[in-house]
Amino acid sequence: MKKIHWILLGMVTLASLALQYFGPPHPHPHAWDSVPLFYCIFGFVSCVLIIVVSKFLGKVWLQKKEDYYEGDNDV
Amino acid sequence: MFELAPAFWLLSAAALAAILPFKAVRAALCVLMPLVGLWQLWSMGIGASSHASLAGFELTLYSVTKVNFVFAVIFLLISSIAGVYAWHVSDRGQQVAALSYASGALGVTLAGDFLTLLLFWELMAVASAWLVFARREESSIRAGVRYLLVHVAGGSLLFGGIILFYGQTGTLSLQALSPEMGASAWLILAGVALNVALPPLHAWLPDAYPRATITGAIFMSALTTKSAVYVLLVLFPGWDLLIYMGLFMALYGVVYAVLANDIRQILAYHIISQVGYMVAGVGIGTALSMNGTAAHAFSHILYKALLFMGAGAVIQATGVSKLSDLGGLAPKMKGVVWLFMIGAFSISGFPLFNGFISKSMIVSAAGEAHYYGIMLGLLLASVGTFLHTGLKIPVFTFWGKDQKLEVKPIPGNMYVAMGLVAFGCTFFGVYPQALYAMLPFDAEYHPYTAYHLVEATQILTFTFIGFWVLRAKLAGEPYLALDTDWFYRRGAPVAQAVIVKPVNAFFGAGAKVRDGIAAYLASSFGNPRAWFGVNKGPSDRFDPDLERAPLGAGLAFILLVFIALFASIAILG
Repeated sequence: MKKIHWILLGMVTLASLALQYFGPPHPHPHAWDSVPLFYCIFGFVSCVLIIVVSKFLGKVWLQKKEDYYEGDNDV
Repeated sequence: MFELAPAFWLLSAAALAAILPFKAVRAALCVLMPLVGLWQLWSMGIGASSHASLAGFELTLYSVTKVNFVFAVIFLLISSIAGVYAWHVSDRGQQVAALSYASGALGVTLAGDFLTLLLFWELMAVASAWLVFARREESSIRAGVRYLLVHVAGGSLLFGGIILFYGQTGTLSLQALSPEMGASAWLILAGVALNVALPPLHAWLPDAYPRATITGAIFMSALTTKSAVYVLLVLFPGWDLLIYMGLFMALYGVVYAVLANDIRQILAYHIISQVGYMVAGVGIGTALSMNGTAAHAFSHILYKALLFMGAGAVIQATGVSKLSDLGGLAPKMKGVVWLFMIGAFSISGFPLFNGFISKSMIVSAAGEAHYYGIMLGLLLASVGTFLHTGLKIPVFTFWGKDQKLEVKPIPGNMYVAMGLVAFGCTFFGVYPQALYAMLPFDAEYHPYTAYHLVEATQILTFTFIGFWVLRAKLAGEPYLALDTDWFYRRGAPVAQAVIVKPVNAFFGAGAKVRDGIAAYLASSFGNPRAWFGVNKGPSDRFDPDLERAPLGAGLAFILLVFIALFASIAILG
């Protein structure tokens, strides 16, 4: 990621915020629409949550060595 | 000829492919016959049907409705394009299997009664299993057998439900079922849920798809789960349970996609996740949500085929399928990178691509029906989709650490097929009305509103930032993740102890008693003369030369009877 990419991302975010607050309102507003930057926070937190929770489940329970089933007399 | 259902066209093409000697002619059949079916379907139009009777049952071989039309169109379209992708394949078995498989999916979709549906359902199971076997590796053959056994079990659940349903209603025609119908509805649901890949009945999918042939996986990614989604839409609209199961599916696939290492397995887990949206749409049961289910199935088939084609191209070129062994391919496979990214943008729901215009329908429908928790849960799943399919797979396959892999050129027909699907993904994204016009229910929807654009842009941007911060954690790891296939792969000793051993012990004990009785009867009734004190001893010591009366005695007796007979005739006559 070069600096220019981050600047572009920032501009996209600003444009979306401008559209959010100055654009036409949603006909069916949701309870969370009043939280500032809701979808930005939602995106970031969800992403971190998915990685951390899945990796945790993998480490403590689900992940096994690749030869786990090898040598089994399953079908 | 139009009396013949479209599915039979494909089935006869499969029969023809089984005997035709020329590879190119067979490949052409795979591309053209679905198009012939499409032309037939289009010219017949909604409302066409054909009936037959079999063993006293009135069957509806096909019945084109508003609901199944859109599914049938996409099945035929993708089968034809998958045929282009597989043009270079000369394996006759795969070509026959692919045509039969497409025929099965189409037959299920157009069937007007349960019996026809069941027959095509089983055809699909067998034909698709062949596409796993055709890889001809030991792990594929084992996975194929597991796949087939699981689907046979699912088919039996469906069959059991259908028998009960017929007993209850006296009809075989497809109709919406209700939970109050009891065992029949629930058995049918279980059978259909297995093909939908609803956890815990889903493990066959990520088990078999990564082990199927490169070209076979395209058909599999398109046909089995989506034909089952169609059946779900017809039989179980508005079942509340499906809303929650749909959300569970959407998140389940996301979690496992973090842990999976094989690129096609990551895509397979995201089929489960995406089908979760469709299942939730069926459960919500409003006109908008069910339109969303049909639209998302249509979109999903296109972008998922494109993604599987891209992953297949990587495997074809490098022979490597594990993310932990891939990396640095971008400079060597520029065309594939672009095409794969179009699929990735589509599944992630970027505006102007087809995932955006269909996924948002289901999410909006959840909101409009006041299922706000479900709505946010589905948005959470969409973060996971972008994270894996849009970022993890391409970043670690095409960029990332250069593994110095040798890249062999891939056949041109693969590029043509990917180009066609990529066109579809963008065409319907830019011009959603072309898809919306085919949707079955009456509900108006506008995807390109300011709110939706803001929502999608912000979520996607900040998911990307989250990924960039934590990207080191997402690199492929050489592990496998346990899934519910563990129960049937590691359950053999338990099944042996619970099912096989007690039964064997019971029959073993029974056999012992039976032999004892037989031995007693043989020894006590073998020689009745012993009861009268004549040549005592067991029957096996019987010596005919000593103990049987001489032959002459018998003859003398017969002679005596004849003499008496003649004498009496002479005297009386």
